[in-house]
Amino acid sequence: MNENSRLRILVVGVIVIALFSALFARLWYLQVISGDQYAAAAEGNRVRTVAREAPRGRILDRRGRILVDNRTANVVAVSRSLVGEEREHVVRELSELLRLPVAEIEDRLEDFRYADFRPIPVATEVDEATLVAIRERQDDLPGVEAIQSAVRVYPYGHLAAHVLGYVGEINDQELEDRKDEGYELGNTIGKVGVERAYETDLRGVPGVEFYEVDRAGGVVRELGEREAEQGDDVQLGVDLDAQLAAEDALLDFITIAREGGRPATGGAVVALDATSGAVVAMASYPTFEPAGFVHGIRTEVWEQLNDPKSNLPLNNRAIQGLYPPGSTFKPVTAVAGLSTGVITPESTILDQGSIEIGGRRFRNAGGKSYGYVALPRALTVSSDVYFYSAAKAIDDLSAAQEEAIQDVALQFGFDQPTGIELPFEQDGRVPDRQWKRTVNHANPTAFPNADWFTGDTVNIGIGQGDLLVTPLQMVTSYAALANGGAVYRPHIGARVIDRFGAVVREVEAQAISEVTPIIEHPEWRQYMMSGLQGTVSNREGTAFNAFAGYSGPPVAAKTGTSQTAGREDTSLFVGTFPANAPKYVIAAVVEEGGAGSDIAAPIVRRVIESLVRTEADSSLPPIGTLIAPPPAETTSSTAPALPEDLVPDGLVPEPIPVPERKLDDEEPATE
Amino acid sequence: MTAVVQRDIPRRNVNPLVYADWVLIAASILLSVIGLVMVYSSTQHRLAFQGEDPNYFLVRQASFLVLGLGLMALMIYIDYRVLRDVSPVVYAATIGVLFLVLTPLGTTTRGSQARFELGILQFQPSELTKIVLILGVASFCYQYRGDLDAWRLAQALGLAAVPSGLILLQPDLGTALVIAFTLMGMLLVAGARPRHLGVIVLFAVTLLVGMVSVGALEEYQVDRLTSFVDQSSDLQASRYNLEQSKIAIGSGGVLGKGLFEGTQTSLSFVPEQHTDFIFTAVGEELGFVGAGVVLALFGVVVWRIWRLAQLARDPFGTLAAVGVLVMIAFQVFQNVGMSMGIMPITGIPLPFLSYGGSSMLASLAGVGLVVNIGMRRYT
Repeated sequence: MNENSRLRILVVGVIVIALFSALFARLWYLQVISGDQYAAAAEGNRVRTVAREAPRGRILDRRGRILVDNRTANVVAVSRSLVGEEREHVVRELSELLRLPVAEIEDRLEDFRYADFRPIPVATEVDEATLVAIRERQDDLPGVEAIQSAVRVYPYGHLAAHVLGYVGEINDQELEDRKDEGYELGNTIGKVGVERAYETDLRGVPGVEFYEVDRAGGVVRELGEREAEQGDDVQLGVDLDAQLAAEDALLDFITIAREGGRPATGGAVVALDATSGAVVAMASYPTFEPAGFVHGIRTEVWEQLNDPKSNLPLNNRAIQGLYPPGSTFKPVTAVAGLSTGVITPESTILDQGSIEIGGRRFRNAGGKSYGYVALPRALTVSSDVYFYSAAKAIDDLSAAQEEAIQDVALQFGFDQPTGIELPFEQDGRVPDRQWKRTVNHANPTAFPNADWFTGDTVNIGIGQGDLLVTPLQMVTSYAALANGGAVYRPHIGARVIDRFGAVVREVEAQAISEVTPIIEHPEWRQYMMSGLQGTVSNREGTAFNAFAGYSGPPVAAKTGTSQTAGREDTSLFVGTFPANAPKYVIAAVVEEGGAGSDIAAPIVRRVIESLVRTEADSSLPPIGTLIAPPPAETTSSTAPALPEDLVPDGLVPEPIPVPERKLDDEEPATE
Repeated sequence: MTAVVQRDIPRRNVNPLVYADWVLIAASILLSVIGLVMVYSSTQHRLAFQGEDPNYFLVRQASFLVLGLGLMALMIYIDYRVLRDVSPVVYAATIGVLFLVLTPLGTTTRGSQARFELGILQFQPSELTKIVLILGVASFCYQYRGDLDAWRLAQALGLAAVPSGLILLQPDLGTALVIAFTLMGMLLVAGARPRHLGVIVLFAVTLLVGMVSVGALEEYQVDRLTSFVDQSSDLQASRYNLEQSKIAIGSGGVLGKGLFEGTQTSLSFVPEQHTDFIFTAVGEELGFVGAGVVLALFGVVVWRIWRLAQLARDPFGTLAAVGVLVMIAFQVFQNVGMSMGIMPITGIPLPFLSYGGSSMLASLAGVGLVVNIGMRRYT
């Protein structure tokens, strides 16, 4: 071997050493310098997390009775990505396993309501055996998920549907609004009612499951999980029995109004604790079945609920219904009159049945004349002339005082949301000069007059004109009158209780406004309360007949029969009891229901009687019981039978049937 | 012009096995055994998951090893000068086999018609072609004793071109590349003029670029060749594979995740892990320490071959040893470099470690040839 060859072999050796050095350097870089980073990448490769929603907290009444609970539903869902023969095969097999017609499964798979990326539930109430059967055949059923999920259950059907609300799949807007709270597409969220207002408490903490997956994303094994924490329970101020009485009475008298030829298209009842603003009952008619929203509401039910012919059953009329308050507004006018000095508690006005103001004749309802009336009697008999006169006198005052009615109305909480936790509350409207100019400017066709007339004030004086209030505002204002002038923010929730039964937080009573004239002059309130007591106890009182035979604590109340152009009268009634130390205030409104004394008054009477009865009933769990023990027999009186006659009028959708699909149902009967 | 002058090595009348390079043999066997373990580690989970025998690849690779050791023994036993003399015949026969594999007798796997199915065994003739070519080129060149002019060089190239062309037709780009580099290494040591070699390299690069641009290569081959250039994009499958390969090795860290504990390995994130990407299993499970030991063992193998190339009795021995050296060194660099993202992805197995009988036989036969040359330096 010569030197040249030796040199050339050396060259080969040097090249090889260089190459191996490069490999070592690269190995050092990857494993020693970047090792941590790649280790993290490998972990990210390997581990997939799947969030599992926690069971939501329950909703309880003020005596600890469960109004909304959870149950486990067995759901069979099919991936949207299935196509062609595979899909045909899966649908055929599922049809057999679930005993559902092929067409029904196909319809479900085509339903637009379900999000694109999530498996579509084709059967939502599957029995255990079928669920197991599907899981065992997983290989043969690609894209099919057999899962158990916690869904809402409503032991009292549609009771308090508007208060409780319902849950549904989170939408883009909600996702955006709550993007920092760990929500994901496909999560369940409260849509309305308490479910929405207390979403944060009810939701709980989602659990996370960690899976090891292979390159194809297939699960190799479960690595562990963080348990979901059930959401906190929310206890309401609502009393199950009062709620039931309110809904029953509302339905009964709407039925009576309809039998009397009135349209009675809907109504609302609200009962408040006058000393705290706690809502004890809140009913709205027509109503709906919240159970229909479990697993996503069926399209035809949704369409029916939104059909104008159904009179908007999803609306909570107690907070969204706007009505002229009519005579129930007269105490506001009275306070305005007293505070401006145009009336005194004992000054009288001659009521001859009508009065001419600004060239127009304003009449009492029914044209009756009451002679000389002072404030208490004016309230008892509901003399319009008395309040026309007072309103005119206010209108004649200086610019500083001419809107005293409006000013007092604002103090009572009108023309603004009360601030109840429930979403979609309406403001109502207390018209004044500024408002009239603004709407005329904005829409001269609908509001041709920019000028304020004396007649406008006079109309407001008896709760008419452009005045609009919600039933909740009515009851809130009467609570202020009843308790001596404090306007409490009405609230549905009483407290939040964790899953171990400890109180997390109390919803405190919160005074949002004061009616200063009646705080400064408590005697005015006394005069007015005695007049309002006369409404039910005095033979002349407008609700004397409606309370005939009533034997409970004294009631102070006011009827109202308000007019809306082109419609039947709105029937209104507000009552508070015991009149000497008011505890509860109850209002009822039935739209196009006729006179307040005929329809709304007896509804309130029924709620009052129920409250009186249940307060004395020692067999019930006391108010404030956190969790009542489950009733011994769920089918007896403790679980009130639902009024079946809600269904035929077409306003209330039938409850979604929960089919019991037991395998042995299909076996031929052997005798 | 320099003439290769044969060193005058005195002949000794002893059993040549006394001079056998046991370090080289031991390093090769050690690498093969590590390979066995890693093949098992990278296949057992998947096989068990599919409900098959987790030992399937292990058992087969072990049989290849036994077969390979037998071939190595044979390559040691037969005097290399006999091999030298019969090499023209073996060479011709090999070319015939390479023709046959392109006929319907051969089997197509992943787009390459490169194998024979022999019952349960497959045989890939291109792997052994490397050894035959080393013998052939060495026996052609040694007669000129270090004097390769243009014409002789052209003849040597022509000699290599026939089997290389046939392998390219399969197409097996990786093996063709190994042959090309092996040939260049041998020609360099055989005394080719540097400028001639320069021209050849230029020509080869032009040919390769031409093939890519006229579309003679399959798209996946181009993808694989170029994916290492832009490694940040993860759009293409081969880039994804490369990324997974780097993650596997990188996540091993200094000490590795432990044997059989690699998640990238057991969860099939790295493709073809028991064959071309076996080094990722080493890197992930044994860490920098283990991968370093493997590379060091390759270093030992290459060093011992390099040493024997210099000790060889005749230029044939030197050239053949250099051929085996370049073959193994290039494959190691290409394969490990590919796993770590510094070389293009080509289907070149890692000698001794990758699963596959033909590659195992070729590597062990090469080592046997070098041991043969080394131990007969005195006879």
